Amino acid sequence: MKRILILISSFFIFSSVYSGGGWPQPKGKGYFKLSEWWVNADQHYTLGGLKDPNVTTGLYNTTFYGEYGFTNKFTGVINVPLLSRNVVNNLISGTTNEIITPGEAINSLGDAEITLKYGVFQHSAISISASIIFGIPLGENAGGLAGNLQTGDGEFNQIFRIDAGIPLGGNDAFSAYGNVYGGYNLRNQGFSDEIRYGAELGIGIFSQKLYVTGRYDVIKSRNNEKSGAIDGSFFANNSEVTSLTGEISYQITSKVGVSATYGTALDGKIIYAAPSYSFGVFLKV
Amino acid sequence: MDFLRIRFIIDMKYYKYLIILLFISLYSCIGDDIVEDFVEPQLRFITALDTIGIGETIQLQVQFFNNVGSAEDTEVSWSSSNDNIAIISEDGLLWAREKGEVIISATINYEGEALRVEKVIVVDEETIEVPNERIGSLRSTSSYALKGDFVLTSTETGVNLAFSEDYETDDVLPGLYIYLTNNPSTVNDALVIGEVTTFKGVHNYQIDDVAINDYSHVLYFCKPFNVKVGDGVFE
Repeated sequence: MKRILILISSFFIFSSVYSGGGWPQPKGKGYFKLSEWWVNADQHYTLGGLKDPNVTTGLYNTTFYGEYGFTNKFTGVINVPLLSRNVVNNLISGTTNEIITPGEAINSLGDAEITLKYGVFQHSAISISASIIFGIPLGENAGGLAGNLQTGDGEFNQIFRIDAGIPLGGNDAFSAYGNVYGGYNLRNQGFSDEIRYGAELGIGIFSQKLYVTGRYDVIKSRNNEKSGAIDGSFFANNSEVTSLTGEISYQITSKVGVSATYGTALDGKIIYAAPSYSFGVFLKV
Repeated sequence: MDFLRIRFIIDMKYYKYLIILLFISLYSCIGDDIVEDFVEPQLRFITALDTIGIGETIQLQVQFFNNVGSAEDTEVSWSSSNDNIAIISEDGLLWAREKGEVIISATINYEGEALRVEKVIVVDEETIEVPNERIGSLRSTSSYALKGDFVLTSTETGVNLAFSEDYETDDVLPGLYIYLTNNPSTVNDALVIGEVTTFKGVHNYQIDDVAINDYSHVLYFCKPFNVKVGDGVFE
């Protein structure tokens, strides 16, 4: 029996600031980041929202993220795990120290996302953009000896999203912004569609060399498909989550910097109950 | 800046960190989860016998289960409380001599200590096997629902495990399997009955090549998460 890839949902929930919110990249400008994201969970949220234990399972993604402004209104974004590793621990007898169930691991590409973002309305008071995000199933959805290790969900999904970004003031030393979004995840292969929404608040301090960002994200399942799991698969159909993610970014030079994130699920259904972390290096051009 | 001629203005010293970052995923090791799976070692009568007929013989059997519930072969010492009523050989062959009650004991040596089990056997006109059924009730040990009464009965080829109409479990839990086991904490050495496909109401499983006293528990286990959902002990 394959194992739920709740982790995949977690990855896209807890990933760093997503493509600039309401502001598209200016023409010829770009933002690129190579980062390591991981979550290691020994418990999960049940359908009833309670926490239950599970064998410790980890997902580790080395991801390339890139944004580029093709025009002042049109931005392309790519987000691809270049190396995704799914790990399940050994189960060891506490009495005999023998292996009860051996652990496993697989390595592969992970599911990628390609985004086309258009700046619908750009004003000093508010910027609104519309995005369509294509989920590309590059990952493995049936790995390991029993086919229960996964780095992808095996489906081509599309997310339609509206962002509204609001500058909250600032000067040379300090700046702040807010962003809200709403979206709809159109899924297939028997998976239920999802409604997604959230808000983000960010501030830049120390002459805007240091950025601190907080993000609140919600995913709600429409429960319009009963299956969705490949027969015997542990893939998270109808999973839901409310999450909080914090990110710190520091610009080492005017073009290069480092960032780190910490994300946690405040509540959820059929999703791993463990924090996620990431660390990356970014380049602004 | 022309997209096709983007130049990465990165100092050479950053390249090694980027390479490390690229491959850091590979260094996430397979760790160990420890399962607290100790159970009290147990010596159990396997033979289903209540009354033996005068002059008849029957082979008695016991099975030793170690501290993780695994069956182990071991030397058994047999004794009878009254050789006038029934005699038992070194190999566990019981010979009924005259009417009455006798206590038959089986003893093994386990880690320097004697482990003993006793059974009261009646010698009478004819041989009667014990009621060939064991009952129990399911209980959940997780946040997932599991309940219901069950009966285990002997059949010609093995046993039949039947659940009553009050049986119910969570149908959202993927990979839920049912087992027979002597250690309710693990599926190690457990007998897989199969994947759960009935989540409510009356149903049964026919299990061949199993004796009625071979196992002590029914176990429900979620294979993908490798965790226990619940169990039921055979009384």
